[in-house]
Amino acid sequence: MTVTIGQAAGQVSAQRHPSRTEELAVRLAGVGKTFGTGAAAVTALRDVSLDVRPGEFVCLLGASGCGKSTLLNLVAGLDRPTTGELTLNTTRPSFMFQEPALLPWLDAGRNVELPLQLNGVPRGARRERAQELLELVRLGGQARKRPHELSGGMRQRVALARALAATTSPDDDRAGGLLLMDEPFAALDAITRDVLQGELLRVWQATGTTVLFVTHDVREALRLAQRVVLLSSRPGTVAGEWDVANAGGDLHEEITASLREVITRHAA
Amino acid sequence: MPPDLTEVGTAHREPPRPNPVDDSAAALAGLDALDTPTVQRTAWWRRALAVWLPPLVALVLFLAIWQGLWAAAFWPEFKLPAPIAVWDEFMLVVRDGSVWSILWTSVSRAFLGFLIALVIATPLGLLVAKVNVVRAAIGPLLSGLQSLPSVAWVPAAVLWFGLTNSTIYFVVLLGSIPSIANGLVAGIDQIPPILPRVGQVLGARGLSSARHILLPAALPGYLAGCKQGWAFSWRSLMAAEIIAAGPLLGIGLGAYLEEGSNFNNISKVIAAIFLILIVGIGIELLVFRPVERRVLRARGLAIGK
Repeated sequence: MTVTIGQAAGQVSAQRHPSRTEELAVRLAGVGKTFGTGAAAVTALRDVSLDVRPGEFVCLLGASGCGKSTLLNLVAGLDRPTTGELTLNTTRPSFMFQEPALLPWLDAGRNVELPLQLNGVPRGARRERAQELLELVRLGGQARKRPHELSGGMRQRVALARALAATTSPDDDRAGGLLLMDEPFAALDAITRDVLQGELLRVWQATGTTVLFVTHDVREALRLAQRVVLLSSRPGTVAGEWDVANAGGDLHEEITASLREVITRHAA
Repeated sequence: MPPDLTEVGTAHREPPRPNPVDDSAAALAGLDALDTPTVQRTAWWRRALAVWLPPLVALVLFLAIWQGLWAAAFWPEFKLPAPIAVWDEFMLVVRDGSVWSILWTSVSRAFLGFLIALVIATPLGLLVAKVNVVRAAIGPLLSGLQSLPSVAWVPAAVLWFGLTNSTIYFVVLLGSIPSIANGLVAGIDQIPPILPRVGQVLGARGLSSARHILLPAALPGYLAGCKQGWAFSWRSLMAAEIIAAGPLLGIGLGAYLEEGSNFNNISKVIAAIFLILIVGIGIELLVFRPVERRVLRARGLAIGK
């Protein structure tokens, strides 16, 4: 499905493009977002252009106020851009937050089933799919546990399974899911975070989902992403881009230096 | 040992590499085992003892003090009866079987009134919680009504409806509707904002959002409101039954109490008060407590209770 949100804000046009995998999964062309009007207006994003290929893992890196969350909300369709054009060529994007945000009255399995239920998948099929996804995040035996009976890392994996349920289809794992992740590991302890980063990479390889991952952490970005995009702050624009796979030299130092430079501009 | 701890940052560029998958699976299983919250189980008799012993001791103490005060004869018999006199009075209505009709008259009224209140208060609460204009218009009134004693409505209701069941139900409804509606409003207001957002990104819109996210999330507050609504409907009913007595109304607990008072029979009055109390506590323990506990425990909100 292609959704184009045009310059005239509020107009969404959708066309079908079956299996044109060479297309871009996400395309942002000069996207800007301003909240409020007149003197009180705050520009969160200005002229952001970004292309994401299907199945690509892209990290958005930036300090506070760079509009990362605004950007994800735009891609998720929770908000509309003020200017520019946003094109999606994926299934419904799904979101993962810093907190697992599981529904406390449903057990792990039902939490994963919920997006399928909301999309009208029949009971048997959604139960099977939920079990499959829980096994993918290595929680196959925990489907009947309630969120409060699980550890923080386990909850976040249930949230990952739920997000995958919302965006991928069981018939075709390469159907072009899009996972938007807003600092999903920031609230976890260092050991759990490390293990979950590895798990996310494994799951990403297994599902072929496109991932747009927001983080403050240069190390995390470098470990996970194929491409790192640095956003400057207030308003957020693209300040640098690194192809992690093909880059030489010490990327960590280079990106950290750029990030510092972007932050330093706000000292005055 | 978790994998990759030393490698972080030195950028392994090619994610699809032959992974130490087995190793990471084991590390994950270890983490899960270490981090999973443990639940301590106590033996059933210990729990039963902790639940039943304190109120039992309190009851025995209360009766002992009462008996002592009566024996000391500080007050005349018509003011403070002996515990055994109240018991005898109680056995009188039990033996002639009238206790069941008295209880049924009152409990069925309170229950029916409560059900009607539920049907009215639930959509009302939803409206107040979700529609800003409605909240601004009648929100304060609704919480104000909660603090207005429903006895105050009895004289007006008698003038409007006469000494009929309508009077009783009117007073009961005005007592319980505000509590239930306010409980639902509070329940909805206290939903963590992340949950509706999650619903939205998972594809819940409008009605399905209310059914799958809003109502279940508001359930604890709604239940608390229902519990309070029941208490208000019970006490409003007693007020109505005591004040509005008539041939059309039959004998409920309130009329039974009023009868004792008219004949200066303090034992009967006290017996009636105990009956009213016992019904109130009984409904709370048999109906509301188990439901509430189940709901809270399912959400991990009342562990160890």
